[in-house]
Amino acid sequence: MTGPSRRRRISAPRLRTRTAGDIGVRRIRWLLVIYALIVLMTVGKLIEIQVINADTYADLGVRQRARTIDLPATRGRVYDRDGDVLATSVQAATIYGDPRVFRPTSTPDGIAVPPAADAAEVGTQLAPLLGMDAAEVTERLERDAHFVYLGRQLDHEVGAEISELNLPGVGVLQEPQRVYPSNGLAAQVVGFTGIDGEGLQGLEARYDTVLSGQPGMLVLERAPGGLDIASGVRELVPPEVGTDLVLTIDRDIQHVAERAAMDAMEEHNAVGASVLVMEVATQEVLAMASVPGFDPNTRGDEDRSTWRNRAVTDVFEPGSTQKALTVAAAIEEGLVTSDTVMSVEDGIVVSGKRFTDSSRRETEEWSVSEVMERSSNVGTIQIAQELGPERLEDYLRDFGYGAPTGGAFPGESGGLLMSHEDWWGTSLPTIAIGQGVAVTLLQAASSYATIANDGVAVTPQIVRGSVGEDGRLTRSAAPSEHRVISADTAVQVRGMLEMAVAGEAGTGARAMVDGYRVAGKTGTARKPAEGARGYSGEYVATFVGFAPVDDPQIVVAVMLDEPRPQFYGGLVAAPVFSEVMQAALAARRVAPDGVGQGLRQAMAVARLQAEERAQQEGPALEADDIASPPVGSPAGGDGTGVSADEP
Amino acid sequence: MSAVTAPLRRSREAAPDPRRHLHVVDEPVIRHTLAYALVMVAVVGASVFGAVTLNALAAGASVEARALDAHVSEAERTYAQLVADVASLEDPARIRETALELGLVPSGPARFVTLERNLPADGAVVATERPGATQDPLKPLLSVER
Repeated sequence: MTGPSRRRRISAPRLRTRTAGDIGVRRIRWLLVIYALIVLMTVGKLIEIQVINADTYADLGVRQRARTIDLPATRGRVYDRDGDVLATSVQAATIYGDPRVFRPTSTPDGIAVPPAADAAEVGTQLAPLLGMDAAEVTERLERDAHFVYLGRQLDHEVGAEISELNLPGVGVLQEPQRVYPSNGLAAQVVGFTGIDGEGLQGLEARYDTVLSGQPGMLVLERAPGGLDIASGVRELVPPEVGTDLVLTIDRDIQHVAERAAMDAMEEHNAVGASVLVMEVATQEVLAMASVPGFDPNTRGDEDRSTWRNRAVTDVFEPGSTQKALTVAAAIEEGLVTSDTVMSVEDGIVVSGKRFTDSSRRETEEWSVSEVMERSSNVGTIQIAQELGPERLEDYLRDFGYGAPTGGAFPGESGGLLMSHEDWWGTSLPTIAIGQGVAVTLLQAASSYATIANDGVAVTPQIVRGSVGEDGRLTRSAAPSEHRVISADTAVQVRGMLEMAVAGEAGTGARAMVDGYRVAGKTGTARKPAEGARGYSGEYVATFVGFAPVDDPQIVVAVMLDEPRPQFYGGLVAAPVFSEVMQAALAARRVAPDGVGQGLRQAMAVARLQAEERAQQEGPALEADDIASPPVGSPAGGDGTGVSADEP
Repeated sequence: MSAVTAPLRRSREAAPDPRRHLHVVDEPVIRHTLAYALVMVAVVGASVFGAVTLNALAAGASVEARALDAHVSEAERTYAQLVADVASLEDPARIRETALELGLVPSGPARFVTLERNLPADGAVVATERPGATQDPLKPLLSVER
């Protein structure tokens, strides 16, 4: 191509006049370019949305449509050892209101909008169903809030009735409610939950994580109108039902124990009472009663002091029940046997303090068994002196004193037992006879269960196991065991304890159970003064024992706090023991090992009952049994088989 | 448009294929336009109907599922309430109170009967032939041999 021709071609357009067609074509080309750019941008955005950030936008979309519903887990039940329900959950109705519905509002343009409903009218309709005053309901609906509770954990039927009213600004929610069908039965043991289902007291609190389960979740896609999108996402994470708890408690024995404790508390004007029933071989607690009790269904109206499980939280001086342990330690150390005869004087002076028995007498030659039978303070102190402080403390700790038992008992106290290095002059004699040391009723029962179990101590248990979704019982971990005394020593102590009940001079005649040989020991101890040194004028009466003697199955421990006017364990606690032990033996189907009540025993019991009636009715007349003791003093030496055990 | 190409076009026009008008002509295709349109409408209609039906079925299933969920929830609620009610009725204190209202009295202590001889159910061996059977004084009265 030559130079001139190139110039001609270049200059040609300048010279050519643009026609309308050229302009049209040119515009079309520009439009195509613009369209191409727009298409490119659109495609690019599509790629970004559909490919690069596809997951992000999908999540955003789901979030806008999805509605997450929390599914509360059903709390596990609490059963007694036979599968009877002690605590369960039911569906209850919670009524709420939206006060915004009852307030006048205005549009952004400032146009006033009247309230959608009248609070007073709605309040009047709701009040009788909620059991509230109409003014109170109206006041709640008029609060400056978006959400107010009008009633919580009401009956399901109430919620259904309110739903049918279809009141504006009022809604009904379903939420679980914890109920205790047996009302106050074993209330201090089982405990209770808060209104939101969290464990607050007792085993409900201790096993809260086990019982509560795991809440679930339901994710739904919903259209703006609120209807579910049929083909939308529906993701369900089902809630995990809480694990059921099976206790060692026997509901029937528990009921008898609570009733007997309440009767005794009222009869003897005590401020409280506790009864504990335990299986010997396993130390499983069959009943743990504390009175006064409370109903966990209406706990808000109850005195908070009644929530306390006295059998494990309250400590007391065991009194003469302690003597069995002191003697057991001495026998185990080979210092004495049950037949060892010792001279027991009227009193004994230790570190300048004189200790005597409950009644004045001459110096006696008593066997160790008789010392126990008569609950002699002097004889027991003599034995303890041979044992010494260090060994006495060691044995008491082996029996479970001075530390929590290790079972799952909420609020359990370890009791009080000082190290022997901190004992002073009178500590040995006082601790040997059960003063200057404090135990819970559980510790007292456990120590006697060790004697009944041929000297083998087992960790007490209150929880038998748990039941998961498979419906099978998973037993709790096996309790630890350790030997405290030999079987031979245990047999000797059991024999002595039997004499303390059935012997002529025994202090626990009222603890006898028809058809069974019973072993046990009474205890009466002064209560320490509150806020001051020394003792108050109040007493704690106890009785701890087991049956049948040949093959002990059941241990029962009874404690009455501040009984008046009678306060001796043999008078106020032993009858409770007898009643509860009889029921427990029957409930556990334990075969009798003794003979039926003979004529002599029947006469003794009849005489005791006559004495009780005489004391209740007034001063004894000459025509009455002259052996009737005065009110408040121990009976003794009258052939009734009851004598004082007060140190 | 270049002038150089004009002769070529002319030469092509000048030399037509001599057999062009001799090829076999196919039978003219009858286009059933109306039928085709109807089929297409039917297909589209069926597709729309199918989609709507599926959606309706899904919606119906969803409603049924919700109803079943509600039914299950109600059944579970009723079951839990019945468990609580039964436990409440079994409360020993309530039973005792009811019994007293009915005039029942507390039973005395349990009595036990000790058998002098073990029963077969207790593991006792029952002899098939008792040695003293023939000397049984009742036998003449109870037997056909009397």
